[in-house]
Amino acid sequence: MAGSDLFTGTLELLVLKAVSWGPRHGYAIGRWIRDTTDDVLTVHEGVLYPALYRLERRELLSEEWRQTETGRDAKFYALTAAGRAQLRAEAKRWERHSRAVNRALAALNG
Amino acid sequence: MARSFRPSDMRPDPRRDVSDEIAFHLEMRTREYLDKGLSNDDARRAAIASFGDVAAVESECRDERGQSVQERARRDWRRGLAMDLSFALRTLRKNVGFTVAATLTLGLGIGITATVFTIVHGVLLRPLPYADAERLEMVWMTALQQQGQLPLSAPNYIDIRDETRTLQSLGAFRSSPSTLGDGAEPEHLAGVAATRAMFDALGVHAIVGRVFTAEEAVTGAPPVAVLSYSLWQRHYGGDRSVVGRQITLGGKRVTVIGVMPQGFAFPRGAELPSGLQIPARTELWTPLIFDSSALGSRGTLNLAAVGRRRAGIGETSVKQELGAMAARLATRYPNSNTGLGLTVISLKDQAAEPVRRELLILMSAVVFVLLIACANVANLLLARTAQRARELAVRAALGAGAGRIARQLVTENIVLALGGAALGVVLAIFGARALLALVPGSLPRADDVAIDRTVLAVTIATAAMVGIVFGLVTALHARRASVAETLRGSTRSTGGTSRATGRRLLVAAEIALSVMLLIGAGLLGSSFVRLERVHPGFDPAHSVAADVLLPIGPRFNPARDGPTWSRFFTELMGRLSAAPGVQAAGAVSSLPLSGAFESGGFAIEGRPRPPVGQGLGAQYSVIAGDYFGAMGIRLLAGRAFDIRDQGDSASVPVVIVSQAFATKHFPGENALGKRLQSGFDFTSSTREIVGIVGDVHQLALGEAALPMMYVPETQMPYPFLTIVVRASGDALGAVPGERAALKALDPTIALDKVRRIDDLVADSLARQRFNLLLLAVFAASALALALVGLYGVIALSVAQRRREIGVRLALGAQARDVLRLVLLEGARVSAVGIFAGLAGALAVSRLIRALLFDVSSTDVMVYGVAAVVVAAVAMVATFAPARRATKVAPMDALRLE
Repeated sequence: MAGSDLFTGTLELLVLKAVSWGPRHGYAIGRWIRDTTDDVLTVHEGVLYPALYRLERRELLSEEWRQTETGRDAKFYALTAAGRAQLRAEAKRWERHSRAVNRALAALNG
Repeated sequence: MARSFRPSDMRPDPRRDVSDEIAFHLEMRTREYLDKGLSNDDARRAAIASFGDVAAVESECRDERGQSVQERARRDWRRGLAMDLSFALRTLRKNVGFTVAATLTLGLGIGITATVFTIVHGVLLRPLPYADAERLEMVWMTALQQQGQLPLSAPNYIDIRDETRTLQSLGAFRSSPSTLGDGAEPEHLAGVAATRAMFDALGVHAIVGRVFTAEEAVTGAPPVAVLSYSLWQRHYGGDRSVVGRQITLGGKRVTVIGVMPQGFAFPRGAELPSGLQIPARTELWTPLIFDSSALGSRGTLNLAAVGRRRAGIGETSVKQELGAMAARLATRYPNSNTGLGLTVISLKDQAAEPVRRELLILMSAVVFVLLIACANVANLLLARTAQRARELAVRAALGAGAGRIARQLVTENIVLALGGAALGVVLAIFGARALLALVPGSLPRADDVAIDRTVLAVTIATAAMVGIVFGLVTALHARRASVAETLRGSTRSTGGTSRATGRRLLVAAEIALSVMLLIGAGLLGSSFVRLERVHPGFDPAHSVAADVLLPIGPRFNPARDGPTWSRFFTELMGRLSAAPGVQAAGAVSSLPLSGAFESGGFAIEGRPRPPVGQGLGAQYSVIAGDYFGAMGIRLLAGRAFDIRDQGDSASVPVVIVSQAFATKHFPGENALGKRLQSGFDFTSSTREIVGIVGDVHQLALGEAALPMMYVPETQMPYPFLTIVVRASGDALGAVPGERAALKALDPTIALDKVRRIDDLVADSLARQRFNLLLLAVFAASALALALVGLYGVIALSVAQRRREIGVRLALGAQARDVLRLVLLEGARVSAVGIFAGLAGALAVSRLIRALLFDVSSTDVMVYGVAAVVVAAVAMVATFAPARRATKVAPMDALRLE
């Protein structure tokens, strides 16, 4: 399954989170991820785009060309209903997952 | 849902889409670096560096998009279909009247087609229920002078079995009825004597125990028997321990060694020539033993043979090999084999051949009915499409493409047709069952008739095809109407003249098909009436027949057991004729119209002997008691058999011949007193003709009465006779007395197959009656459907022409004129149909010829009556709308617009 490995899965979760407040274009999504994760997760910004297309194909995102505030044409991505549900489910899963991993690591340290 | 309406061609070109998006990203990123104070070039480079491999990302995105587009198209299609379906269901629900009428018509049409197809499929098409059944072949002898398939003699069978290289496991069998003596009442069993190879050829094995071995098929071996599944269930409750037990068969103790699988009943009588007297379903198999007398009589043709073609060998090779073998046998044994050939026919064709034509005619008839039903529904649909022209035009104006509208209509019609198919399958399930109950017992493979996957698939495919054709036709019509014109709001939106012509042509075709069916039914009916008028040569009223089977000991040996049999029958005849309510009692070896017959060769004393292979032959029967009196066969000259013809050495061997025999062999002479050297006697003897009796239709009412010889049982003892008793009152009234007389004489002997001679005659026409009944029902349904169609078209036309009729009436036309106008319209349609139907019937008349008796397939009377009947009922169907047309009030009609 695409996106089941740690990195892609995380990236897709972040993308969904990035558009959860409203439609954003690819650059803005990338920027938000960079800003909120302090560049930790980004190897190359380019990987964002295939992820966007994959999510769109799975109908978790919908897309639309519209104008930015500065009057430029850009493609905006928005969460679909399915995308919102996916975000909720994935976020919960991630939380459980990371808690478990954290606990395990703490135990190892002790 | 809303998504699927988004026009797909407004989506941007994916190639440009991807590069524009990435270009935008790089531009924004460059600007970010510029803001940090980098130079133009550096900023650009930094943006690209942080992005990664631009070309790779682009191509990955494009691939993703390409797949996405395909998936979306599929998804849209599925959603569209769901939408079409729900819309179709809604539309159909809204027009309940139309939906019910159309579904019922289609359902009936598909239902009876599926019913008849179920039977045709079971009898003609389905593989036989044996392993690798395509390779099974029946082997027969053929005679130069005689039509049809002749059985083999034991020595010939053995030669063929041992010499053939094209067939493996060639098994022989013959009828061998038996009486089961263990129960309270003795019971007749439908038995067959067979060689082991018969089971091997068919590839069947016993489910309990085993079938017999070659060692058990020799004279003197302990007798064994194999039971059918149904006999096992009926008599032994499915108890497996029956294997090894001894039962009483024909007075002998016989060990049961096996039980065959459920449904196995080979040979089944209806699939084989009736002369072999094979029971309808075999329930008991015993080893066929070739004793010295059987091995010595190469001329006694009494065995059927079934074999399996070796893998890779075609039927032609088998025929060639057997042809050569027959020639060899004829040189080796000129006395018995001259003029005899050998042939094979696949077991499937053997079963199907006698009924193929009838079934195909019925199948065509039923397809006609289906076509008429479809034409009717098509007419309904066309009329409705005309009414829906506005709806469709609105949808076209709102951007629905022609393809999309066609798809909607096809979906609607497929839903309709599948509804019809569902109803049809249900009808077929009941119909096939009902039809099988009606089917005469002589239908081959009746047990193989079942609604299986093929029948279902064909039914559903038919329905789907009907739906698609309807949908496309209506869609084409809908497209022809121009959108703008329809929307402009002419309320006379009922279609142009071309559409009206189309509807009329459909109705004319319906009428043509019903004329053809009516002619077919008429021809069958007229030949049936003639068949019923044929005098059988005996008087069926008040007579009843029943079979009696005497035990024949370890083997058939008339020389030893003959006197016992004769004493028994003489005594029985005496008791029967003395019983109260009995006018005459007799017995016969081959009861007329029962399918049984025996032929024998003879020579006339004092005439030169014909060359070998071209001797004289005729049918013969062994009779006892007052057979002629019991059957009501007239004595024309001489005397009947009496006390003078006892079997003692003092009696003169005698024979009585039929009128046809006397005319054929002694034209212009008195046959009485002439002497025949019979070749069929167990003890060849010269017999004097002492009497001449009336002709009897032995084989069928539709076949000529053949020359016949009768021999007294006292002089030619025979253990299997059919007792015929003529009662003074009701025929069956004599049966209790008959049973009592038999019981008093020997309680272990059963009276089997009690039937009135009346019923025997009626049953001999069962197949003709069945064909006639079905064809008549089909013709009547076809006619009814065609008339409904005609009525619909004329009524619609009157409704459309209200205004025109109103104007005519306003301008002074009389009701009479309007009536004539409408009636003429109907008459034109039906005339075209009737003439086309007559021409069509003439064209295919040759196909039905084989089913007719004494009627020409182009019988003017039948054709004329069919035409007149259809014309008359068509007139009636047109009359109602025509009357309505005369009631149009001129002002109302004008105000309508």
